[in-house]
Amino acid sequence: MAGASVKVAVRVRPFNSREIGKESKCIIQMSGNTTTILNPKQPKENKSFNFDFSYWSHTTPEDINYASQMQVYKDIGEEMLLHAFEGYNVCIFAYGQTGAGKSYTMMGRQEKDQQGIIPLLCEDLFTKINDSNNDNSMSYSVEVSYMEIYCERVRDLLNPKNKGNLRVREHPLMGPYVEDLSKLAVTSYNDIQDLMDSGNKARTVAATNMNETSSRSHAVFNIIFTQKKHDMETENTSEKVLTKGVGGGDGVFEGANINKSLTTLGKVISALAELNKKKKKVESFIPYRDSVLTWLLRENLGGNSRTAMVAALSPADINYDETLSTLRYADRAKQIRCNAVINEDPNNRLVRELKEEVARLKDLLYAQGLGDIIESECHRGKHNSHSQKMHIYRLTQETEKIIAELNETWEEKLRRTEAIRMEREALLAEMGVAMREDGGTVGVFSPKKTPHLVNLNEDPLMSECLLYYIKDGITKVGRENAKTRQDIVLSGHFIKDEHCTFSSTTGPQGEGCVILEPCEGAETYVNGKRVTSPIVLRSGNRIIMGKSHVFRFNDPEQARLERERTPCAETPVEPVDWAFAQRELLEKQGIDMKQEMEQRLQELEDQYRKEREEASNLLEQQRLVRENFIQTSPLINSPVPWTKRETELALWAFRKWRFYQFTSLRDLLWGNAIFLKEANAISVELKKKVT
Amino acid sequence: MASLSSDEWRAICDKFTNAQNLTEVESRNDPENDPFRSKYKARELLREIYCSLKSFEVSEGEEDGGGESAGLRAAKLGAVEYYLGVNHVDTEELSAGQEHLMNCMKLLGRCSVSSENVSLFIHVRNQLGILWAGRDETETAQGFLETAESIYQHYMKEDGSPPTDMTEYFTTEEKLLTHQERTKRFELAYTHTMYYLAQVYKNLGQTERAATYCHSTLQRQLQLNQFNPMEWALNAATLSQYYITKGRYMEGRHCLSAATVISGLAGEVPSEATENERREQLRQKRAEIARCWIKYCLNLLQDAKKLLEDNIGELDTDRQDELKRARRGEEEEEEKGRKSALLFGSEDTFDSIASLEEKVRCLFPLDFTEARAVFLVGQNYVTQAKEYFQMDGYVTDHIEILQDHSALFRALAFFEEDLERRCKMHKRRVDMLEPICTDLNAQYYLMIRRQLMFELAETYSEMMDLKLTLANRQADTQSLDSHTIKKFNHLCSASAKYFQMFLDSLCSPEGKVPEHLEEEVLRPALVARFRVARLHSRLISSSPSVQLDNLNRSLENYKYVVQYCETHPEAATTVETELELSKEMVGLLPLKINRLKARMAANN
Repeated sequence: MAGASVKVAVRVRPFNSREIGKESKCIIQMSGNTTTILNPKQPKENKSFNFDFSYWSHTTPEDINYASQMQVYKDIGEEMLLHAFEGYNVCIFAYGQTGAGKSYTMMGRQEKDQQGIIPLLCEDLFTKINDSNNDNSMSYSVEVSYMEIYCERVRDLLNPKNKGNLRVREHPLMGPYVEDLSKLAVTSYNDIQDLMDSGNKARTVAATNMNETSSRSHAVFNIIFTQKKHDMETENTSEKVLTKGVGGGDGVFEGANINKSLTTLGKVISALAELNKKKKKVESFIPYRDSVLTWLLRENLGGNSRTAMVAALSPADINYDETLSTLRYADRAKQIRCNAVINEDPNNRLVRELKEEVARLKDLLYAQGLGDIIESECHRGKHNSHSQKMHIYRLTQETEKIIAELNETWEEKLRRTEAIRMEREALLAEMGVAMREDGGTVGVFSPKKTPHLVNLNEDPLMSECLLYYIKDGITKVGRENAKTRQDIVLSGHFIKDEHCTFSSTTGPQGEGCVILEPCEGAETYVNGKRVTSPIVLRSGNRIIMGKSHVFRFNDPEQARLERERTPCAETPVEPVDWAFAQRELLEKQGIDMKQEMEQRLQELEDQYRKEREEASNLLEQQRLVRENFIQTSPLINSPVPWTKRETELALWAFRKWRFYQFTSLRDLLWGNAIFLKEANAISVELKKKVT
Repeated sequence: MASLSSDEWRAICDKFTNAQNLTEVESRNDPENDPFRSKYKARELLREIYCSLKSFEVSEGEEDGGGESAGLRAAKLGAVEYYLGVNHVDTEELSAGQEHLMNCMKLLGRCSVSSENVSLFIHVRNQLGILWAGRDETETAQGFLETAESIYQHYMKEDGSPPTDMTEYFTTEEKLLTHQERTKRFELAYTHTMYYLAQVYKNLGQTERAATYCHSTLQRQLQLNQFNPMEWALNAATLSQYYITKGRYMEGRHCLSAATVISGLAGEVPSEATENERREQLRQKRAEIARCWIKYCLNLLQDAKKLLEDNIGELDTDRQDELKRARRGEEEEEEKGRKSALLFGSEDTFDSIASLEEKVRCLFPLDFTEARAVFLVGQNYVTQAKEYFQMDGYVTDHIEILQDHSALFRALAFFEEDLERRCKMHKRRVDMLEPICTDLNAQYYLMIRRQLMFELAETYSEMMDLKLTLANRQADTQSLDSHTIKKFNHLCSASAKYFQMFLDSLCSPEGKVPEHLEEEVLRPALVARFRVARLHSRLISSSPSVQLDNLNRSLENYKYVVQYCETHPEAATTVETELELSKEMVGLLPLKINRLKARMAANN
């Protein structure tokens, strides 16, 4: 599609550990620009889509078809950067289900060759700026803003003072903007990295506290790049980089479902009116507001913009439905165009006049050479150029605010940026988030000596970006409003006012020892196991507090000593990330359940055996009694052992248990819970009826 | 309850109340990892009720002549099946749900419809409708829902007494519902039938029927007082947009009048800053209803214009007379006939809606007076809408409203016979659009600005034509006075300027003309070229060299159209007439140019 305003790429990632665990099959095939998805249920049913780029990143760089980070950047990032210098609005966004690899494509990882589009683009941007600094006729400035859209609410990720919902507005000169969203001045790629990092921290804190997953929130990172020509002509370019996709389920692929609730009547009516509007091109107004994200993207789909979208795909058969819907969305994105239509007046009159003129000129042609034609319209008169009126808008508060911002000098901007940075860090420090030696909280750094906690999150962007020191002595963890001051402040549903404490001591040889002690009733897990009494931590331990706060404990000194002792110490093959900690939790809980159940079943069995023995003893006694004292009437009311039903139940439980022992642990991870429930139920029932 | 002891019965009733409570209240608090906990509990209770009823039926069923009728027993058992069915559907066990619902149908099949069971008759079909629609079996769904519809209608015709609600099957006597409550519940079930049918018809592509059923749904919500005013009003206003695009202005007007009246029930706009959010919401929604009204007035005027114009866009007086004659007979009858079909209004709102309707007609205006009346109503709503959608903060919305205002003027001008006044109306359009077009940020509002440029160019051109016609009428001589020429040239070059501005907006940031025109701007761009060409050849000048310049620029633009269509053959179909004329002009203009050159040479 030549000239289409949206460039669309899809990219498929390798299997993740969960998919490997489930022995997933790859259902994505790529050939050239075509991507094909196989339906795992009906293997003959393939669907193919054509995109500007189809990136095969399912294998390793050894594969000649493998698309590396650099290749993606060269195809998409470089072109977009070029457009930015040409003066276009540029927008790059990623789309796809959680865990499909959006963050990897956009941000990537720190290691060499692993950086994503945003870092590479930013680096190139500053290189280009520095290269052209010799050219005195141009000057450049770069500002950034970072926001999050969650449930139609916009939150500033860079300025902690900006709490709550920001309003989205349009200004005649400034265009669409988010009211009060802070724009911070940057002078290097490091600045951008720091700001993005601290924004991610803000997001992580908020997301974890609200116990919400990031899947429904969108983060928008804005780079406002201004080129000034020194003849005072200003060119403004804003470059938008979205690190999260447009939310799925926008209703386009809804089947023939019926909405049950009458609250959705408006949707049905709007759809009817819309249908008519499109078909007949008649003017109508449908009172339906775009979502904030669509609204913000709107300007990026116009003629002044160049937009690129990367749809991230999971290769696994288990994600077939989501992946297919991602592909369809991407396919539709190719056709996205701005719907501003030019409504022209019918020019019938003009056509008639012109036809007359054509006729006249033709006559003239025939009569050529037969003398001059009198031009009817020729008379004296002069051009009068229409003087342009400049209209000045009533200065409202908003406009004044914007003008103030415009008048701010670069130095002032930098100062303001610094002030906001300080505030932000003070806020994080208050929550116990660790500082770098220079006082900064940003950037990936890891202390050489002090034991500490790093956060783990489902979203790799939010993982390992908060760091909490465990100081010598006692470090308390709890809520902000606890009776005593807490060193590490967490919030969320399952965090107690005083949740747990860490006590750090140093032994005579300088070896540290950190003990975690949970407070009563507070949910705390170490390596997936619930802890109720003090426990000595080892470097690399996973700690979960409440339901959503997941950390890894690091003790650099201990780790170093360990390495010295056993040079090739076993490190987990897979990264110790959020998923690992969660899986471990599940597994450990599963195993605990198993133990508990075995215990319970053992008890049942013992009881069964005991009671049977008792019963047969009793029978034996009775027999003896009967035999010996035949004349004696049975005064003892013989206790009936088990009823038929009770015996069946017990046997059933026993069979289940036997069966259970023969199946693999993996299959039973989830099943356990049900068995346990059943076993509990049986024991309750037995107890009730037997005793 | 002859055979079931009252204690046993009470136990069943308690279980049922419990199950209802679990399904409707408790289930909302179920944890994410056990989302159906309460529903499963409810299911157990329902099963127990089912067993009790069933065992009672087996042991005592036949011999018991007194007590309740066999029909009521079947209905009760059917109701339990119904609740079990809904429970399974809610917990995503569709086929089990279907089985229970069909069991309910079977049990009901043995009974005839009566006030004791009609509610169940409707409910079970509603549920089966949803179930089958979810499986893409829309026709099957349609069958169930349409049967529900006809059962309701038949019942209301034959009986109509407030029917027993299914919950009453399992309540002790002292807790039976009032007649009012019975009616309310029964009618609500039928409102749902209407709403589900609307969606079924929509999915079947029968939009007209779908709209009618949406209309009925709204109507019933209002009648039965089961609605949220603002939500209802906005829905009615949206429905009006469906009607007006279908040319059904009476229905459109009715929806809008009802929307305005009902939105008034949402209360006053709170003044305290504490209620900022609610305040904004109310203001916004009322402004949106106003915008729907604007479109009503605009479309009514434009459709009337289409009916009345001749082949060059002027008022066709023969047609006007004809339509006026035809209207006298029809107007009252038609309005009354259609009105009786679907009417909104509860007792207290009916009059207010009717009086609002009287403020604007729904028949096509046929002359200036009638058109002006429609225009003024529209303009009034423009003012209202602009109060909320201000330029500062709502640029796009504000400009869309201004564009509508301009379009209202344009449509009204068509009816205006006095050319001087007609010209002034177009001047008003220029005055409202020009400053915005100049001041808007070209980067962010490219699309809107393009629309504005095009409209301004056309408006100036229109004014130019009017001025010329006027001048020709006034002056008998063939020569125009210098003042008129000055005016004419000003309008002509202003029009050319805006067309050119539009064309420039298509260029790349470095000012390069695009080689390929995007589909959505293809026709406008070629038309703009064509019109620029024409405008240049119309500029009046006494200086032969200026004339020569103008003619050359004209030729250049005609050539562009021809050449573009040669290199892009697919473009030719979109501008057939323009292309044909451009080709001719490309052939003929050089002749004119050569003659001018020759004359210039001769004069030198």
